[in-house]
Amino acid sequence: MLLILTVLAAALAAVVASRGRLHPLAGGAVGLAAASATTWTFAGCALGGDVTGDNTGVQRVLAVAAVVTVAAGVARTVAALRAGGGPAGEAMLTELRSGRFRTGAWLPWLLLAPTLAILAVFLYYPSFQTFALSTKLARMGAPRSADVCLGNFAELLVPSPYLVAGLPPAAVAVVAGLALWRSRTTPGTASHTAAAALSPLGPIATVVALYFVFAPGRTGYRGVYVATLGISFGIVALSMTAGLGLAYLVARRFRGASVYRTLLIWPYAVSPPVAGILFFMMFDPTAGVMAHLAGVVGLDFPSYRTDGVLAQAAIVLAASWKWVGHNILFYVAALQTVPREIVEAAAIDGAGAWRRFVRIVVPTIAPVTFFLLVTNLTYAFFDVYGTIDYLTRGGPSGRTTVAIYEIIRVGVGTGDLGRGAAQSVILFIAVIGLTVWQFRRSEGRITYGGGA
Amino acid sequence: MKNRALWATAAGTAAAALVLTGCTGSSEADTAGDGVVDVWVAFTDDARLGFVQEKAAEFEQKHEGVTVKVQGFDNYETLFQQMQLALDGGDAPEIVHYFEAATREALDAVGPDGEPVFQSVSAATGDRDEILGEPVVLDDVVAPAKNYYSVDGEFYSMPWNTSSTIMYGNQTMMDEAGIDAMPETWQDLEAACDKIAKLADGPEACITWPNHSWWMEQAMGQADTNLGNNDNGRSGRATEIDLDSDAMVDYLTWWQNLEKNGDYLYTGVQRDWDGTRAAFSAQQVAFLMSSSGDAAGIDEESADGGYDVVAGRMPYDADTPYGGNLIGGATLWLRSGLDEDTTDASLAFLNFFNNPENAAEWHKVSGYVPITNSAVDLLTEEGWFDENPNFKVASDQLALAADTPASTGVLMGNFVAIRDVITAAAEDILVQGDDVEERLHAADDEAQQLLDDYELLYSGE
Amino acid sequence: MTDNLTISVGRRGPFTGRTWHLHVLSVVCVLLIGFPLLYAALVATQTNAEVFAFRLTPGSSFGEHFHKVWVERGIGRAMWNSLVMSTLVTVAKTVLSMAAGLAFVYFRFRGRSLVFLGVLVTLMMPTEVMILALFRVTSDLGMTDSLWALVVPFAASATSVFLFRQHFMSLPAELPEAAQLDGAGPFQFCFRILLPLSWNTIGALAVVSFTYAWNMYLWPVLVIKDASGQVVQQSLSALRATDQAISYGPLMLGALLASVPPLLVFLALQKPFMSGMAISDK
Repeated sequence: MLLILTVLAAALAAVVASRGRLHPLAGGAVGLAAASATTWTFAGCALGGDVTGDNTGVQRVLAVAAVVTVAAGVARTVAALRAGGGPAGEAMLTELRSGRFRTGAWLPWLLLAPTLAILAVFLYYPSFQTFALSTKLARMGAPRSADVCLGNFAELLVPSPYLVAGLPPAAVAVVAGLALWRSRTTPGTASHTAAAALSPLGPIATVVALYFVFAPGRTGYRGVYVATLGISFGIVALSMTAGLGLAYLVARRFRGASVYRTLLIWPYAVSPPVAGILFFMMFDPTAGVMAHLAGVVGLDFPSYRTDGVLAQAAIVLAASWKWVGHNILFYVAALQTVPREIVEAAAIDGAGAWRRFVRIVVPTIAPVTFFLLVTNLTYAFFDVYGTIDYLTRGGPSGRTTVAIYEIIRVGVGTGDLGRGAAQSVILFIAVIGLTVWQFRRSEGRITYGGGA
Repeated sequence: MKNRALWATAAGTAAAALVLTGCTGSSEADTAGDGVVDVWVAFTDDARLGFVQEKAAEFEQKHEGVTVKVQGFDNYETLFQQMQLALDGGDAPEIVHYFEAATREALDAVGPDGEPVFQSVSAATGDRDEILGEPVVLDDVVAPAKNYYSVDGEFYSMPWNTSSTIMYGNQTMMDEAGIDAMPETWQDLEAACDKIAKLADGPEACITWPNHSWWMEQAMGQADTNLGNNDNGRSGRATEIDLDSDAMVDYLTWWQNLEKNGDYLYTGVQRDWDGTRAAFSAQQVAFLMSSSGDAAGIDEESADGGYDVVAGRMPYDADTPYGGNLIGGATLWLRSGLDEDTTDASLAFLNFFNNPENAAEWHKVSGYVPITNSAVDLLTEEGWFDENPNFKVASDQLALAADTPASTGVLMGNFVAIRDVITAAAEDILVQGDDVEERLHAADDEAQQLLDDYELLYSGE
Repeated sequence: MTDNLTISVGRRGPFTGRTWHLHVLSVVCVLLIGFPLLYAALVATQTNAEVFAFRLTPGSSFGEHFHKVWVERGIGRAMWNSLVMSTLVTVAKTVLSMAAGLAFVYFRFRGRSLVFLGVLVTLMMPTEVMILALFRVTSDLGMTDSLWALVVPFAASATSVFLFRQHFMSLPAELPEAAQLDGAGPFQFCFRILLPLSWNTIGALAVVSFTYAWNMYLWPVLVIKDASGQVVQQSLSALRATDQAISYGPLMLGALLASVPPLLVFLALQKPFMSGMAISDK
């Protein structure tokens, strides 16, 4: 216990010291308060010594990690806010313009009140409850529940506390080391180029580390992790590239363009379950239209129902098909803002169509691309349940069981509220992590607003 | 200023909608004891939900002042979940349709007040022979169903759609292949499949059936092996599950081999009732194992497709002594805490629903087992079984069962989730070719954990 | 490369050359993307047996299916419920988010950044993940089985607030000052100046919000059980089982019918949309 507290204090001190900017004390104090709160509500049982169940070592590691992360995050945010935005990377918080109207302090709050009230009641409160449930063994309709501390989480991970404690920090070390190297070298030099070239290693290290942290085996969570990763990124990549390509085609002003636009957007009006049913019928290995068409040209249409990779591909295809209209919608709008004169000037300078597209069009619509990246990720992570349920039911052998599918199967389908909540928390953290990473990455590249 | 017009239209619609919320927003206060019998069933199809609605209307006509409100749900899981939510909200229905796997959970269910949610139908009936003029049919219910839903001598819920696993054969194809009788054992089936495989333009595979835990449970019944301790949960609460018994290993090994040989067609989707049946009606397989409740639909499809269908029992292992097949399906549970009038109205409806004429009609509509002995007699007198021998197979098969805990069926907590574990294991064994024993062992651990959790929450141990 | 004679100075967007190849390409793309829907339209006219026998000609059962879907199952009523719900969600989302965006951009108040961060973080908290906890809240508030349960939890949206904030920040900085010089208060400023400049953002949000609400399935299944209050996705789900086995024809017909309203919303709002998205206005 004492050891853990020492580690905690050291971590906090490190975070606070690393800020090295204004108001480290304020940041540290709030961080400490938040860390204590987390310890008390969420990780208290694991740190207090009355851990129950298996994998007590893993549970302790998780508890420490949770507290340290929260402390670090809060300290950083507070310090960043104090410093007026900046290096913490909350691009959104950067103040571009100060407010104008000064009619009473109550007016802005009045304008915000409905939104904040709804968010508080229907988002913050349920998510707080989900956090609380995740440390319990609870069933829908059961007369009592039992505290299992972080057992629901530990269950999803490898039973070795050393791996759980060691791998993620190692990945973080790789990321931080690369960033440090890059920041210490001068742009233009060979070593800077090398550092820049190596920067994808960070995310890769994180992905690999997580792979080894999740429990292996047919009943382990590793399969869900792999399926989620493959299917989600497949959907984002396919639906965004297809969306941009199609939008580039029909954003032009020519007779009939609006008809084509409407027809291309039509699948967006279809709901995810219906998309699942449609592709289920089309891809049916024996009675489906694709099998028949393949037969006509003398090909053998493979069955996605018993092949894991094909099943994942089928999900990606169906889910992207349903969503591509959404991306076309936003890209068509964004393409209207590409300044003609610049494109024409480039054309006169002899830039080929592809070069004009890559050099001028793509950078101009980068803010929309970023916005779409966030919404597409959200879609790929959360809204594919219906499609999967009708297309593969998570099979074969769990190869298309993505995180949201497993959450709903466990939490809603079998009423295992605690385990469902624990998985929800993991997904929640993953999406927040990804989004923050995206925000930070795109920070220097995209300028928002500011009527220049 | 077209946009302004649009905006105005949108605002107008919104205002109209707000006015309308008055209508859609206020569903009638729906509390127990308001003289209305709410019946929730897990069917939405015209034939089955329609049947209940028709009977409810007939009952209302017969009993003035009683209202029976029928509400259909997509499936048992949704219904189960809605029931839990309704209990929280205090507007749960009087009669609920639960499937057999949820029997233990229905027995254990408590409301927010800590009181049991359901009452035993036999206890509520007492020693009455009729309720509101409707003769009581409880004693008349066929034995396998009565045994399944009886615990500690109490007959808890009114059986309704009750079926067993039977095998359908494409007679036309069997004739072509020279198979003269429906295979009765695994060994018969293998021999028949060899003949099917030799057909010149034969089907894609010999047989298919859904990957549903029900088959594993049936196989345990046939091999007279318990899935749970304490006599399959019949003499006390089941606290231990046995998924890696020899009988289970044998069954899955047999199944895996059938798949490897290309005789079994796996549709690749779990619990795929529709896909397997479609494969049979598209004549991609010669045999289909499915619920006896599909008999009516399968007959109809065979008429459309121009082939004949014959039904037989679920094949068993000739090398293992036969225990018996068990039932599946669902029953109607009666809420507790109702006032006397509502209780009696609900009981009267349940008995009316299963009176000989109605039970016989339900059997004909669907193919589910005739649920009372008098319904069987009525159908026999009419000559129904002579004309439709396929409809008799399930009843005959159930009658063969010895009255042992294994063939009655397991009573176990969290069994809905445990079924998922079993199905997932079977899929891994079929699709990935996992080692049967190893995979079943892993499934056993996982299921035991679920059962332990359940027991901890419900019995406090 | 100077055959673009239709250049009009100052206009934006990709431009036209000769168009016949654009037509060919567009038709190919539309056929590819539209193929599943065309197939659905074909299936909507066929019986199950015809579907499995793979006939590429329309079947004879369209009338029968239409009768089943429209008359027997009354999908019209469910579509009406969905229309009311989706319209309310769309309008509420637009109004609330615009108000919030206004507060974030044109007012200075303590804790503004922190509040914005608080709103933004909900972008990553979709209701799907905490659907059961959400149910408990709605049930405690006594909103289940009513339109309120379908509308209120979705009336606020981080995405929309974010989009409006970005849009307002992209507008010229002099606008509010000019308005104040003219003696206009914040509300007059909002209705007279901001609103006419925001139709493109409103249009985009309306299409997305409407489609999102229209396609909601898991949540309505949880909160609406009364038959008369069911939304279109619930009736589609029930259409799967008009017979004991899945019957594709009525289902596909229902799905096609259900896809029309969001499409109409897009058609109606296409014009403001085509004038560009402010999020990228630099």
